[in-house]
Amino acid sequence: RGKTSGTKKDLGLPKSYVTSVFKHFAKTKVSSDVYPVLKEIMERYFDRLADDLEVYAAHANRKTIEVEDVELLMRRQGFVTDSMPVNVLIEKYLPMESRKLLIPVATSGNYVIPKPRRK
Amino acid sequence: MLKRVPMSKLKSLIKKKAHIRIGTAADAMVELNVLLFLHSLAEEARTKAFEEKSATIKACHVKAVCKKLLKQARG
Repeated sequence: RGKTSGTKKDLGLPKSYVTSVFKHFAKTKVSSDVYPVLKEIMERYFDRLADDLEVYAAHANRKTIEVEDVELLMRRQGFVTDSMPVNVLIEKYLPMESRKLLIPVATSGNYVIPKPRRK
Repeated sequence: MLKRVPMSKLKSLIKKKAHIRIGTAADAMVELNVLLFLHSLAEEARTKAFEEKSATIKACHVKAVCKKLLKQARG
């Protein structure tokens, strides 16, 4: 968590984003006092996420967090399994702009964006 | 329709340690992870609220399931 410059900096994701996503997935009425709890949960979640990703990257002797690291994390979290491959999740949840970054798409001139990942 | 996550915010959240860099498209994967986490949280909270015969999800329901889910989200 950022310790600098007062209260504005250490807010995690914006309130509107977190609540709207939560409401979208909840599909029932959500009382308005849920947000402080959500905020705390997200903070703890991100703390752990950052630590884990750093450890995975360091384990592979890298200083850069790559897609493989996050994929491994999701495998460990049980989101990605053998019957639920990561591409299915990407197509189900992510908007088109992010999907383009992750799944190779052929464009004109036989260019494939992004470069297919090495296996 | 879902909102887009603010990417720069997301990056700054992952990048608490100064020496760590984030590869291309890795932040999109993290976005996916956040969505999945919120999804499972919402589902669990809804079941909890349903168990307690409440039509709305209240803060106590979320609190009750958060421990389990944060444990699941361990890497």
